[in-house]
Amino acid sequence: MAEYSRIAQGSFTSTGLPQIVNLPFQPSKVRLTNYTKATTPAQNGVPFAYWQAEMGQGFAVIEAFNSAPALITDIVTSNGISTFSAGLLLQYGPLLQIASISTASAAVVTTASPHGYASGQVVIMQGLYQSTTTGMPQIAGVPFTITVTGTTTFTIPWNTNQGNYTALSGSPTGAYVKQVLYPYLFVPGACYISALSLGTTTTVTTTSAHNFVVGQEVAFRVPSLWGTTQLNSLPNAVIPGSPIYGYVISVTSYNVFVVSINSSSYTAFNSNQAFNTAGLSYAQVVAVGDVNSGGVQISSGSPLYPPPYTVPISTTQVPAISFPGIQGGYFNNSSYGFIVGNGVGATLSSAVLVGASGNVIYYEAELSDLTQVDGY
Amino acid sequence: MSSIANSNNLGPLVLQSVMPSILYTPTPYMNYRNVADKASVPMHGGTTARFMRARALKPATIQINPDGIDPGLQKPQRDVIDAIMARYGTGCIINETLLVQNQDPVLAWVGDRLGVAGKQGEDLLLRDFVVSAASPIYASGGQVQDNPTNYGVSDFSNLAATLDTNNAIKFTEGLKAIDGYGSGPTRPAFYMLASCELEPDFDALTGSGFISAYNMSYPNKAIPSEFGNIFNIRILVSSENGVARGASANGRDVYYNPVLGKQALTHISQDGESMRLIYRDPYFSGAYAQNATLVIKFWQAQALTQDTGIRNSLCTRAGNYGGV
Repeated sequence: MAEYSRIAQGSFTSTGLPQIVNLPFQPSKVRLTNYTKATTPAQNGVPFAYWQAEMGQGFAVIEAFNSAPALITDIVTSNGISTFSAGLLLQYGPLLQIASISTASAAVVTTASPHGYASGQVVIMQGLYQSTTTGMPQIAGVPFTITVTGTTTFTIPWNTNQGNYTALSGSPTGAYVKQVLYPYLFVPGACYISALSLGTTTTVTTTSAHNFVVGQEVAFRVPSLWGTTQLNSLPNAVIPGSPIYGYVISVTSYNVFVVSINSSSYTAFNSNQAFNTAGLSYAQVVAVGDVNSGGVQISSGSPLYPPPYTVPISTTQVPAISFPGIQGGYFNNSSYGFIVGNGVGATLSSAVLVGASGNVIYYEAELSDLTQVDGY
Repeated sequence: MSSIANSNNLGPLVLQSVMPSILYTPTPYMNYRNVADKASVPMHGGTTARFMRARALKPATIQINPDGIDPGLQKPQRDVIDAIMARYGTGCIINETLLVQNQDPVLAWVGDRLGVAGKQGEDLLLRDFVVSAASPIYASGGQVQDNPTNYGVSDFSNLAATLDTNNAIKFTEGLKAIDGYGSGPTRPAFYMLASCELEPDFDALTGSGFISAYNMSYPNKAIPSEFGNIFNIRILVSSENGVARGASANGRDVYYNPVLGKQALTHISQDGESMRLIYRDPYFSGAYAQNATLVIKFWQAQALTQDTGIRNSLCTRAGNYGGV
């Protein structure tokens, strides 16, 4: 065995969607065994798969069952196995033409071709014009966590069913969506607000995952066009110069949380922004501290001293690879690893690499001393 | 078939003289490290750096009643900011040439590059942290009908007004009453960390408020990365500043240019050290292999220690000026 090679092994239970596997390195070779599919041979099962860097990102060689069922070899040429090195922000996926966007809450985005996205991923959009005077440029450039509803559809947490928004249809020229590749490298941070529910406490809905915890201290930046400026940390009429902060008292989901600010008498939030958006700044909430003193509590299946985590969708906690630390503190969420995509065989076009939901998949990943591909 | 024994087929002998010094490696300015406050957790000090800031007390503006009854007292409070340390590093394998050549020069230049890679890593971590954590303000003063627009001079007025209203502390004033960063060519000022690609846009504001570093009253005091200033915002540029390609409302590039005062951003290291250079001697790792390694390792965390004193100023460009 060479001196500097790295080998890792482990397992995951497939959800049927692309699976991210974090490792301490970026592998140059990956081998998969779908234990479930190997147990009971059936058509389109993929019990074995293999990838190495020289094949190229997103490819894989698979062994899959044909109709007999007998094992045959096949290849995956897109959404196969790929590696990632998530260390820098401001990286994006390819542009995808938008076919339409509905006026609804939540708005439904339809792409002109299959998007390949998964729920919990973050996208931004551009060129959202139906004509020179209609459309919804108000939400262009805003990072949205998506919930996938079909191969060409997903929803975004924004109410476009308002007077200043016009539905997009017919694949308008220049209307594109693209994925934000590593949206949560540094957590917690600044989030865009899509809705506010005012009352004795204030319920905040954000456009992407807030990654706040109970005890998080937050500040609001609400430009006057958005209405609820009383939430802003400054100005302060009672103690001039002293910022007013709120505390997160409960976390409802990945993009909803409750803050300990009595906003009963405040101006209503207005996301029905005018069509002309040149220079429009957005309402935001930003982490500024916390009142916690302990780390993440241990739970079933977690490490003994759990690291901080992100919640990209629903209430699913994804642990970072960092050290344990006080909850609510700023932490780095960079990582290496590989992704098992949901691509299919070139011949067996219903044989899905990542398997079906509930499949138990074992992996071996290796970084070799000697590789011929740059970046490994 | 020709043969190498035939001198007619041999190329001319090429002599070479290796120049005495190695050429410089193009390296971006690393502005974030310079404008960030510095803090350090002690060795064995745990994984979390904690900052505390006293809250302002209510000013004493109400007179005490002459009947001798004391007014109610205040409860002093502090805000807490936590940052979790992380470990970073990179390194090189120096292969088994020790026995046939002098390895010292190789170690010297590889060590030099590792040091730069580490420093650039620190800077990029700070850059991306600020992109994530600081509130964006979209430029609105330019002529480009996009969101954000390109810069107009009013954007700088608004940024300065925002930070001044927030009581952000300018560099060369305030805490400790010292020149916190440089002895500048301008009066107390905030810093903007901008992309070099915006230089033509700044130049276009000459006469409207922009003063090139070249034309400052004391240009010899300008920082090497300093491009100029607009009002009381000094502009430092770097080719590695944050740019989101094609991310505007209409698909233009969006530039993340944080504007900050003192103590807004803190760069946290461990045990007062910047980074550690680790050399492992060549040793036998196989029947034949004998390799050395040279690596750098550092610990870092980062925090917005005064959220009121920093904003991400987002803009696009007036045009694509080309140049590659």
